Amino acid sequence: MTATTAGPGTGTTRTDVPELRIDAVSLRFGGIQALDEVSFTVRPGTVHALIGPNGAGKSSCFNVISGLYRPTEGRVVLGETVLPELRPHRLAALGIGRSFQNIALSMHSTVLDNVMLGRHALTHGGFLSGGFRLPWTVREERRHAARAAEICAFLGLSHVVETPVGALPYGLAKRVDVARALAVEPRILLLDEPAAGLNAVETADMAATIVDLRAALDISVLLVEHDMGLVMGIADRVSVLDFGRLIADGPPAAVRRDPEVVKAYLGTGENGECPR
Amino acid sequence: MSETALATPEFSAAGRPAGRLRRRNWPAIIAWAVVLLILVLLPLYLPPGLLSAGQYVMVGAVGAIGLTLVFGQAGQLSLAHAFFLLVGGTAYSVLAGETTQAGAERIVGFGWPPLLALIGAVVITALFGLAFAPVAGRLKGIYLGIASLALVYIGFYLGRALPALTGGASSGRNPEPFSLFGFPFTNEGDIALFGVPLRQPERLWYLFLVVLVIGYLLAAGAMRGRVGRAWRAVRDHEAAAAAMGVNVLRAKAVAFAVSAAYAGLAGVLLVLWYGLLKPDESEFGNYGLNTSIAFLAMVLIGGLGSIPGAVAGALIVWGSQQILTLFAADLGLGTALSGFSPTVISLYVYGLAVIAVVLFEPGGLAAIGRNTVAALRGRRRSDMDSSGASGRRSAPPGKDGK
Repeated sequence: MTATTAGPGTGTTRTDVPELRIDAVSLRFGGIQALDEVSFTVRPGTVHALIGPNGAGKSSCFNVISGLYRPTEGRVVLGETVLPELRPHRLAALGIGRSFQNIALSMHSTVLDNVMLGRHALTHGGFLSGGFRLPWTVREERRHAARAAEICAFLGLSHVVETPVGALPYGLAKRVDVARALAVEPRILLLDEPAAGLNAVETADMAATIVDLRAALDISVLLVEHDMGLVMGIADRVSVLDFGRLIADGPPAAVRRDPEVVKAYLGTGENGECPR
Repeated sequence: MSETALATPEFSAAGRPAGRLRRRNWPAIIAWAVVLLILVLLPLYLPPGLLSAGQYVMVGAVGAIGLTLVFGQAGQLSLAHAFFLLVGGTAYSVLAGETTQAGAERIVGFGWPPLLALIGAVVITALFGLAFAPVAGRLKGIYLGIASLALVYIGFYLGRALPALTGGASSGRNPEPFSLFGFPFTNEGDIALFGVPLRQPERLWYLFLVVLVIGYLLAAGAMRGRVGRAWRAVRDHEAAAAAMGVNVLRAKAVAFAVSAAYAGLAGVLLVLWYGLLKPDESEFGNYGLNTSIAFLAMVLIGGLGSIPGAVAGALIVWGSQQILTLFAADLGLGTALSGFSPTVISLYVYGLAVIAVVLFEPGGLAAIGRNTVAALRGRRRSDMDSSGASGRRSAPPGKDGK
């Protein structure tokens, strides 16, 4: 594991990484107000964490951003593009990659095959061109497989690229999910609980990976996470939800001292120290 | 754990040559070459009955490949296969045939060259499959199966209601024999191979073999690449597929269209084999529910999603039916007219095969084949999957259709 060199808050030198603005987003399911005028901004090149107690609306918010839910009110804007106006499958081509909380991979397919799915929006060809294995299709496939292999290597998956995902331990499968999201060549990476179900060592690895990939690719990362140690260690900025409302938004050090956060999220802890 | 540096999107020069894509699997290539050689030589030795049975199996294999694609790879259950068979057979007969007057009925035909008619029939059937896409996009699992089953009954009705196209249920119509650039697939003309005259049965055998090989390679190639990955993603996790840029509704529609195209192709071969297009008089005829179920049995026995498995499944399901009929007298079975006919017995044979697969090896023949190959390579590879899970897994839908 390489040492984490990039300090938090380094920003980005890339000019094509836009700002992601969540603009007064409300979401209602029947009588339930899942999100209530939530607004925050993921600045280019930052690691931004979205936290909150169970049922706070983190996943709802995440699903609105990634296009699975349509907000009742408000907008999600990436640069100049209003995301909820698009069908979900258009988001990958805009440079939005996402991972899933519960591993959402094809268990019988190999690691490389799963990661290659992330190249879908970057590649072309249908049943006939693929079926006849036309020269340009084969060339394209080869080129993108090489990049997918690079991404697997970055995530420490080189030794299992030909292994079916179903045969991998959970911690590695979780990294395959992140690799697939990276294969989209995202400008902003959405990670849904990347450390859920991981042990302490794996969680530390995942934290280092997130910092490394942000530094290597100069992209923004928005993550939803329960693990406070991970969040406070790597996030440049933290937004806190409680009962669908945004109750705090700022650098981790400030958020962890915010009385309302302490009350809502950490219970009665006095020194604000977060339980792992 | 990041062992390697990762650069921003531009590919690092030419990238790695990705050795795995270039490596040739010689044992597999040789095995396939031997199988093909046998299939080429078989018609020179087989008696007429077995020759015809073999052709029937190849027709079934083409259709089964179509079903294993939509059901096994894309995860969309279809019981409409028999309907698409009827559409394909009818479309070919109409496009290739001549307009004739049969009694009071005027039977329509366009008189196209047979090859063009065959392609046209496949395209038309694909469009029928595409027309079903709005339903396929809304329903899942068994509900989709039942909805698609409705098509079979619509076909049953239309077959009788449109005698101008189908010739009607009582007499049917004779499809134009196939010919390719003037070469007829009939008894016309004298050609021979190793002293064996190639007449209609042998010629049709080779035609079917070529169609099957093309259909097989096309399916295997497509499932190995972008389309196959997208379909498997739709099957396993629709939200993830969409997040990776797959248009889920479109993928389902295309899967249905492709599957229908294969069934339509099988339908064309079926009328060429039978020499007759004849819509069903009862619900359980050539294009009835029983045929849809037979195709389902083929892909289940072969292993869901497996293309070679679909071919093997066709051999068991339609092969057993033909063999039992051929050797009914020798085996002391009843005749086709008795209640317990060879056809009925074959239902029991493949019914039992399906039960055996479900009980003992949900991955079907494909998994048995994979495990056998793994065992043969065994000792050398054993240290590679140290987890032990990958080798023993009876994964139903195999990767890239293997």
